[in-house]
Amino acid sequence: MELNKYQQEAFDKQRPVIENFGKKTWAWTIFFMAWILLGGYALYLQITKGHGITGMRDNVVWGLYIANFIFFIGISYAGAVISGILHILKVEWRKPIIRIAEMITVIATIIGPVYILLCVGRLDRLHHLFIYPRLQSPITWDVLAISTYFTGSVIFLYLALIKDFAIYRDAKLNIPKWKQKLYKILAIGYRGTASQNRHIRISTNLMAIMIVPLAIIVHSVLSWIFGMTLRPGWHSTIFGPYFVLAAIYSGTGVLIMAMWVYRKMYGLQSYLTDKHFIYLGYIMMVLGAGYGYFTFSEYLTGWFASEKWESEVLEKLFNPAKYGWWFLFANVAGILLPIVVVALPKTRKPNLIALVSLFMVIALWVKRYLIIVPTLESPLLPMQDTRIEYVKYTATWVEWALTFGGIATFFLFFTLMSKFVTVIPISEFANKGTTAEQPVLNENEIASA
Amino acid sequence: MKKYSKNQALIKGCRQLLVCAALSVLINILPSHVFAQADSAKTTADTTVAATEPSLLSPSLELLSIQKADSSVDLKVALKTKFKGSTIKLPLLKVTFYQVADTVKKEMGFIITDLNGKGVFNCKANQLLVDKDGKVHFKAMFAGNKSMEATDGEVTAKRARIDITPIKEDSVTSVKVKLIDVGTGKEAGVSNIVVGIFVKRQFFPMKLGEVTTDTTGEGTLEIPKGLPGDANGNITLIAKIDENETYGNLESSTSQNWGVAVSDVNSVMPRALWSAHPPLWMVITFVILVATVWGHYFVIVFELLRLRKEEPHEPNNPINV
Repeated sequence: MELNKYQQEAFDKQRPVIENFGKKTWAWTIFFMAWILLGGYALYLQITKGHGITGMRDNVVWGLYIANFIFFIGISYAGAVISGILHILKVEWRKPIIRIAEMITVIATIIGPVYILLCVGRLDRLHHLFIYPRLQSPITWDVLAISTYFTGSVIFLYLALIKDFAIYRDAKLNIPKWKQKLYKILAIGYRGTASQNRHIRISTNLMAIMIVPLAIIVHSVLSWIFGMTLRPGWHSTIFGPYFVLAAIYSGTGVLIMAMWVYRKMYGLQSYLTDKHFIYLGYIMMVLGAGYGYFTFSEYLTGWFASEKWESEVLEKLFNPAKYGWWFLFANVAGILLPIVVVALPKTRKPNLIALVSLFMVIALWVKRYLIIVPTLESPLLPMQDTRIEYVKYTATWVEWALTFGGIATFFLFFTLMSKFVTVIPISEFANKGTTAEQPVLNENEIASA
Repeated sequence: MKKYSKNQALIKGCRQLLVCAALSVLINILPSHVFAQADSAKTTADTTVAATEPSLLSPSLELLSIQKADSSVDLKVALKTKFKGSTIKLPLLKVTFYQVADTVKKEMGFIITDLNGKGVFNCKANQLLVDKDGKVHFKAMFAGNKSMEATDGEVTAKRARIDITPIKEDSVTSVKVKLIDVGTGKEAGVSNIVVGIFVKRQFFPMKLGEVTTDTTGEGTLEIPKGLPGDANGNITLIAKIDENETYGNLESSTSQNWGVAVSDVNSVMPRALWSAHPPLWMVITFVILVATVWGHYFVIVFELLRLRKEEPHEPNNPINV
């Protein structure tokens, strides 16, 4: 195995993680599986008893599931945009974080669309989407965009993994035979020849260029499902860029949190350095300011025009007896907090940045909920039968169980993936180390950046 | 040493914050009532009242009956109350309807008031209990709740019907209305009653005129030309009697092709996305986008296949990344 000093160091550091599953990992896996099983039971009930056991009714037809769908597709941006852009710009400090970012993309893109399947009532007619697609329908655009995006994300992640798979294959790891065989298959005969490196370089560059516009299209299309309907709070021309920005923003938050967890869990302080947190914090701060601007613009125009139904939705969002406190939380934790914490040098620390990222991510989930539910609770046509469950949406335990089941699946996939591949890519350090002696970012680079 | 303890304190603080945040989230989400009310009786008005006013509110219930041409009766209710000097409409409350005839009291069903505190219950002709005088008696009742007292409303009306007949002679259009008393079992025209003739508009019916029924219970009104109709020129003409002492409210309608066709279809830029086929520009854009992206995917897969083909023949050689 001809790894350079820094690659060897990175590999030695992470080798035990791949070789041993460990008691802690088992405990986490069982914990996540328990949540997933609870979600599975809830799904069984939903399929056998019908959607009547959820809080969704004729009027409020979307609830937690669609909020989760937008949320997960949003955080999938972390890998697509951050790793894509940083790769194109050849930013050196990206190297230790891109694997985590790309993992977030793939896992979130797997989980997100599942919530659509949970939301629609007739899964037996799902294939009709492909047999009888209406090209005019934003739903058809969404199906095509997400499947294309998912394929692209998997290819992008795989391209970055091929060299590492070859390293694992040749490293004589103390792992089961099936795993060794799988590494061999996945390495697709990579031996590091100049020609092979060229193929990978071309493919990676192509994907990096494509994945960014693709991600923007996907989230724009998603926003148009709302924006193209004549509903208060949805029918907005800025919904496309607003959703895109919010998605990159929340994706950055999840990336910071994932880095913090891996750093603590696997002792990767020399690779995921304070500077990575600070740099991503800067990105988060800028995105937060942009997101805040869009939010202000969106609600100011709606409020100023005072159109009847728009005002009805705004009243719900600003009234503390309705959604006022949640709206306040979404804006304080989702906009102000990250900006303040990163802007002040005293609070610009990895732990605090990770903490505000957590709050910001929760706030953005709440925000997605606030985009969906208050609008649906404000029907344009008067309702004859106004039973409380028709007017007001209340998520049932079934929806919460499936929500937490999805979150547990997200964490479980992360745990399992970190046991299958090294979260810090080994092959990326072909020319430069990441250890304390030769850090990813030296002082000059930091200053120039 | 000092720096170390500072960091420790910071980490400890962050952990405590995390625990507090997690607890507060759990407390809020586990009962599944994060964003919503749980009890249908607990309206906003109720909650406000319960918080500030210990005594029960006394709501009022207005009940109105409208006898329709198909012999059914619409029962309209409006539920409201006075609170701190202002009137509050009471939404999302259950109002039950009864029919009373001689000694019989029959429950017909219930409605839930809408956001304006109103609701309509339709009583079919075969459900009606008519007393010996040919009258129907209805009662609507709100049973009360933790914040409000019970209340009810009653209405009585003699059974009657308005027949509306469109007449077109040459170019003159008119409607003939006939008020018929059906309470006693035999049909008899009712004279000297004012019947309003309206045309249905977007928000409220527009009055065209009034006729007073003659000795046979009939009256005729000419309908003006040029009334805007729907896309096919149809107009809906309504004959109404409001709050008559004996018969209460009556209503009947007919739809005729006497209006001027008015279409709201945008012919300048029609809504292409609602058509059976997508517009050409969309098909072209779609094909270009999908072909570009998936074409690149195939190129990359091809590149990867070449990677395997170009594997050196000495597979045991270590890699040189």
